[in-house]
Amino acid sequence: MKNWLHGIRTLVWKDLVQEWRSKDMLTAMFAFAILTLFIFNYAIELSPVNRAEIAAGIIWVVIVFAGTLGLNRSFTAEQDQGCFDALVMAVPDLSVIYLAKLLTNFLVMLFLTVLVIPVYSLLYNQSLFSLPLLGVLVLGAWGYAAAGTLIAGMTVQTRMRDLLLPILLFPILMPVNMAVVKAAGGILAGAAWQDYSLWVALLGVYGIIVTVISILVFEYVIRE
Amino acid sequence: MLSENKPLKLLFFLSVGLILAAFAMVLFYAPVEQTMGLVQKVFYFHMSAAWVGMLAFLVAAVCGVLYLAKKELVYDAAAFSAVEMGLLFTAIATFTGMIWAEPIWNTWWTWDPRLTTMTIMAFTYIAYLLLRRGIDEPVKRARFGAIYAIIGFASVPLTFFSSRLLRTIHPTIFGGNSGDMALTLQMYQTMAASLVAFTLLFAVLLWYRARLAGEQALLEALRAEQTEDEFGEVENG
Repeated sequence: MKNWLHGIRTLVWKDLVQEWRSKDMLTAMFAFAILTLFIFNYAIELSPVNRAEIAAGIIWVVIVFAGTLGLNRSFTAEQDQGCFDALVMAVPDLSVIYLAKLLTNFLVMLFLTVLVIPVYSLLYNQSLFSLPLLGVLVLGAWGYAAAGTLIAGMTVQTRMRDLLLPILLFPILMPVNMAVVKAAGGILAGAAWQDYSLWVALLGVYGIIVTVISILVFEYVIRE
Repeated sequence: MLSENKPLKLLFFLSVGLILAAFAMVLFYAPVEQTMGLVQKVFYFHMSAAWVGMLAFLVAAVCGVLYLAKKELVYDAAAFSAVEMGLLFTAIATFTGMIWAEPIWNTWWTWDPRLTTMTIMAFTYIAYLLLRRGIDEPVKRARFGAIYAIIGFASVPLTFFSSRLLRTIHPTIFGGNSGDMALTLQMYQTMAASLVAFTLLFAVLLWYRARLAGEQALLEALRAEQTEDEFGEVENG
């Protein structure tokens, strides 16, 4: 258990330091997210009347789209440098690799969320700072990272790579998308907890189920 | 191919007979629904096709688990075939649904949660086929296919659950409290007959398709071996 935690911590630290030194991915994700926000401004007339309800959907779509950029990169270093074998030998258990990558992707998603929310609040003059909303986005980011890390581990080994990731990921993310948008929409519209609590529960259940299944099958992603 | 396998041949003719019988029951035995009229009769095959679609995806997930546990390519062939069949029957369910929806809902398509989640499910399995196309190595293809079939099927019940939380205009036969589609005894019998007929048809088609997939895999392996031999000779010469 101690080895296991130590392995996860080392791998997460390695990935975060690697990313922080170049900041390639974070910069690209943030720029992409902001650009998407601007596209939405023209694509949908965001009149102040309907803005409150639509904000939840827009924020989540922006995060999901920008997130695929990060997911696509989450295994490329190992794949391109041929480090998978070394990684497999270094860890006490293959689930360590999955959990470490999951945590890294989760943290990256959180970082992105924390950057996007103030920008949205500023641009659309609507404060999105609320703890319940943040909680929903955190749960959503976990489900997203849990499914995304598993899929990214497979697509990086295929011929089509980045092309394939969103195609494989978006359909199985549908419960998360629905639940985040419904719950966050409820919060922004000032609904009572009972009105959206089922969606929050769904997010939790999804996160648990997908994480457990992924831990169980991840060794087949990496090893014959 | 038909003559090789006795039980398969028998099942084939049995399923053809049952489909024809179910068809006859739909046309002549089941009464015409009072409010919807003749178009309601499409429901029997619509529901059967939707059921078989779901069953097929379940079979694919189970075969995925079996493949990962036993590493025998026959399970991969079965899973792949089940996905293809599932997509086919889901398409049948969608099109028969459209035929019904046009006169009843006055539109071919509507963004109803039931319809939307069904389509998302279909996209999951289209993605499965794309994933397989992106991998040349048969063993890796089988492994990744199995993983995706499992995780894909895990998201299906959640998707359906979430759609139940949303208001739907789609009629429910089981578990719904609405009386929007009350069936008579003859209607239930017809429905049961089509369900059995479609399920058997699916089993037969799956069997044939999995056998074909097995032969294809064998051919692929032989071809790979032959290219290896040729290259080997060049090197030696």
